[in-house]
Amino acid sequence: MVLATKPHPPATIGATTRRVGVKTPDSIYEKVLVILSRYREASIAVVAIILVIYFQFGSNGEFLTSQFLSVVLRDTGRLGLIAVAEVMLMITGEIDLSVSSTFSLAPYIMVLLSIDLGVPLAIGALIGVVLGVLVGVLNGIITVRFRVPSLITTVGTLFLLQGIVVWIDDSQPIVAPVEEPFNAIFGQSLYGPSDSLFSWHAITAFTPFLWTVLAVAALALVLSRTTFGLHTIATGSNIVGAREIGVRTDRIKVYNFMIAGGFAAFAGIINTAQFSSADPQAGSPFLTLQAIAAAVIGGTSLLGGSGTAIGSLIGAFVVATLNNGLVMVGAQATVSDIYLGIAILLAMILNVQVNRLRARRRI
Amino acid sequence: MSPAVIPPLAPDAPVILEMSHISKGFGAVTALVDVSIKLRQGEVLALVGDNGAGKSTLIKILSGYHQPDTGTIVSKGKQVHFNSPRDARAIGIETVYQDLALIGDLSIYHNMFMGREYHKRVLGLKLLDNKKMRDLAEVHLKTLGISIPSVNSTVDLLSGGQRQCVAVARSIYASPTILILDEPLAALGVRESAHVLGLIQSLRQQRNVSIILIVHNYNQIFEVCDRINFLHSGEIVLDAATSETSEEELIRIVKSGLGRNAVAAESAETEPGQA
Ligand SMILES: Nc1ncnc2c1ncn2[C@@H]1O[C@H](COP(=O)(O)OP(=O)(O)O)[C@@H](O)[C@H]1O
Ligand SMILES: [Mg+2]
Repeated sequence: MVLATKPHPPATIGATTRRVGVKTPDSIYEKVLVILSRYREASIAVVAIILVIYFQFGSNGEFLTSQFLSVVLRDTGRLGLIAVAEVMLMITGEIDLSVSSTFSLAPYIMVLLSIDLGVPLAIGALIGVVLGVLVGVLNGIITVRFRVPSLITTVGTLFLLQGIVVWIDDSQPIVAPVEEPFNAIFGQSLYGPSDSLFSWHAITAFTPFLWTVLAVAALALVLSRTTFGLHTIATGSNIVGAREIGVRTDRIKVYNFMIAGGFAAFAGIINTAQFSSADPQAGSPFLTLQAIAAAVIGGTSLLGGSGTAIGSLIGAFVVATLNNGLVMVGAQATVSDIYLGIAILLAMILNVQVNRLRARRRI
Repeated sequence: MSPAVIPPLAPDAPVILEMSHISKGFGAVTALVDVSIKLRQGEVLALVGDNGAGKSTLIKILSGYHQPDTGTIVSKGKQVHFNSPRDARAIGIETVYQDLALIGDLSIYHNMFMGREYHKRVLGLKLLDNKKMRDLAEVHLKTLGISIPSVNSTVDLLSGGQRQCVAVARSIYASPTILILDEPLAALGVRESAHVLGLIQSLRQQRNVSIILIVHNYNQIFEVCDRINFLHSGEIVLDAATSETSEEELIRIVKSGLGRNAVAAESAETEPGQA
């Protein structure tokens, strides 16, 4: 009976002969999947580099000129800003299809305030961003309180806001006033062939892209190094479990809708500063879809629980490169959609395959 | 591990938790009807009953996940209201849920500290102190004798048993005053079960933490529990010290689907007929 009263059972548990996570992949196919899933951003970066090389040769060296790059980076910036905001939402398992209308609305209000009431652009921009954040609150509350799927909620607010902005001034584009240093800070116009690389004009031509890089870096930090980021992932990965352990999943979702709205407004304002024009139709739903495509290509799952901010910026670069590069090498503008469609499908298949592989290797 | 080594709970051990007249329904389904339970300092209370009896619902009310339709919870003499699991955790109630509440996409150490993350200030920003959490998680798991490949690996790479161990480890990390374990042995092998039971037994020996344990195996109940509450169709039909009841009585009550008194009355009625 001495043995029976031994106070401690076997020293360790869980130590099985096969250690988890160390299991070697079985086939080359699995090996490739493992590498792609582990180095998500790196693998999409490789794709981006291949595209750049292809277009550089295809266009007789015209791709890598500051003139052309400023166009690609401008588009990357605009798309990336929206894509990265969608990444946060997609990680929580939600999506925002209304961002294009916020993209149009915020700068329109900014310009109207400036023209009609003499409000400085900087103040108007702030008001525009706050407006975008409030749209996020609306989307978020309807989604979490009334349990309407965000896919539907945001289609509703998309039409609502698009209708409002078109109705305000009979869908007239307005010429936006130019104020310094506001326009210099948020990017006024594109790099011209006669500009010296170190001119004031040349530097400001890239500011929209630099803002996006800043925003992406900030969200990457939030996602991987803050409690909010952790709880965002928890919400999308296992919402019941997250609630059980005390994560305020509803709040987390609303906050991420607010981020998406604010970023969309900011992107719209930058766009208006660049073109000195506020167009009620500046953001089309197509812009939103391209941003979501950029996020998916960058390695964010539509299923929630995982995603990468940096990947979405690279994804935005790939989309912008495809859009502009194909035109430059002489393809019809619409052909880029074919490539984009294929890229999205491949990225989604990869996402799903990686998830299945993880599930299979679990036990 | 024979029960003899642990002295019975002192008769004057104070009641630290009382749930009184708790009812809860989900739409048309009535999950709990006027349930009252008492938990004393250092006690290990077994909550038993068939699937669907309402065990998980009851402990989810105590953990703050559900709010009761009626009834009160009194903790250490004070009435408490839990609007969320955060409130319950804040006063030292930790729960291992039946579904474990682990986040598959996050690392083991992030799961361990979910809801009580450590931070550090970097350039004025409040960032996660991942190194600290990683180290603490590693030490904690080692102390408990739980072996996992690395605290960095994500939870969805773990086996069912390993996950259960991680969830149990998380629940006792902050030295709770009340520990709720909802079928913590379900996915465990014989050896792992013995280990977790040993863990419960050593917590019981110290009598610092009160435990509510949901298990189906009667051997395990009689091995580690001081008291049994039997839940049937949302009602408590038996509340007895393990020393005052037996497996046979439990089985009789399960079969009848009625309470102890009802079973006793029934057999008193049938006896003359048989004679
Ligand atoms: N979230 C819920 N929504 C609706 N019904 C529920 C919910 N949770 C539990 N129930 C119902 O309440 C009853 C008790 O369930 P539960 O507490 O899980 O039982 P047990 O843990 O004893 O097996 C069951 O009939 C179950 O279907
Ligand atoms: Mg249960």
